[in-house]
Amino acid sequence: MNKSEIFADGFWHNNTIFAQLLGMCPLLGVTTSAENGFWMGAATLLVLAGSNLVVSMVRGLIPKNVRIPAYITIIAAFVTVVGMAMNAWMHEMYLILGLFIPLIVVNCAILGRAEAFASKNSVSDALMDALAVGLGFTFALVLLGGVRELFGQGELFGFNVFGESYPDVLMFILPPGAFIALGFILAAINLINRSFARRAEARVLAQSTAEAAPATVEAQ
Amino acid sequence: MKLDKDQIRMVIALFVVASIAAVLLATTDIITREPIAAAQKAALHQALQQVLPEHSNDPQNDKITLGQDDAAVVIYPAKDAAGHIAGMAWEVVAPDGYSGSVRILVGVRPDDSVFAIRVTQHQETPGLGDGIVKNDGWLADFVGQNLSSKQWKVKKDGGDFDQFTGATITPRAVVKAVKGALEFFKQQKTVIFARLTTAEADHKTGGAHE
Repeated sequence: MNKSEIFADGFWHNNTIFAQLLGMCPLLGVTTSAENGFWMGAATLLVLAGSNLVVSMVRGLIPKNVRIPAYITIIAAFVTVVGMAMNAWMHEMYLILGLFIPLIVVNCAILGRAEAFASKNSVSDALMDALAVGLGFTFALVLLGGVRELFGQGELFGFNVFGESYPDVLMFILPPGAFIALGFILAAINLINRSFARRAEARVLAQSTAEAAPATVEAQ
Repeated sequence: MKLDKDQIRMVIALFVVASIAAVLLATTDIITREPIAAAQKAALHQALQQVLPEHSNDPQNDKITLGQDDAAVVIYPAKDAAGHIAGMAWEVVAPDGYSGSVRILVGVRPDDSVFAIRVTQHQETPGLGDGIVKNDGWLADFVGQNLSSKQWKVKKDGGDFDQFTGATITPRAVVKAVKGALEFFKQQKTVIFARLTTAEADHKTGGAHE
């Protein structure tokens, strides 16, 4: 796989949220606004980059039987580092995300990338994978956070969109709203993917009929 | 029991990984310790500015601690230029919020009335219970009130404070906690003032030695 394939795969085709439906806890917990979603995604991206980098560096050196505890130790260390850094330099956001930062450790998507990709690929490929998966995760969190913020409070990134008279639709802010919005987003993504697939299919079909066409005309 | 080669490799691998993680964490701790303390101090400073009357001292510098361990209350006094106590603030915890406890900074005047309150930490539902942070009108209802000037309950319970549409538990918890703070102040007032003036005296004699 070359770098752009790795990117397309991590960001879209195998998107943690939209394709694998992993990492639901931070997804549903913090996406009450687009900004929260963005910073949670950014924190996850940093952890992912750190863990993929180190796991790729030590690949082959760690005996198979203890790889999981070794990876978890690496991931937990990076999560703590990111948490402390946020506490120091982004104190307000740290207070909002608080509980969900340590929970990045148990985001199975991160262990999944370490196990399925970083432990088998070169350092640069592993970093590309972390970037793609991290950005894909951030994209999903911002999208869902944006939808919930927009319909729940009539705002986007804290800016008023629908005007003061917009009646806040509380349901979108509450947890059920996260599931409902996610369902619609997943449906939309499936539609997009299907129309891509259909277009690709039509292209192949058009090519084959163009080749076959002269023969049919003659037969008639 | 004799360890075979594979087992020794496992132990070494985990030991190395854990050591690297430990070094990484220790380094980050050293780097972030001061910024974290500064950020916490700045956040507290900002909150204190909102719940204390105008003052010319640094409330965090002049703080006193009553009680010990879990029951400890840290009091931040506000003093005017002449050194008179204009008010003070401390944090109370409402353990009975809708989701977890709510921490409230309560500022009082020496005459037992509330100067202002601010919620410093909560996990209440956005759009419902978080009115305790966002609803300025509701927060203003506390200003200037003392134990006898209001019924310290939400209206649903026969008191004088509004609940929010769809959220009664959160305002109820906050009202109860602020009431508790005022009762605490009434009981401990003489002790607090005594401590504050001796703290000041200590400060002055300390200054004379220098």
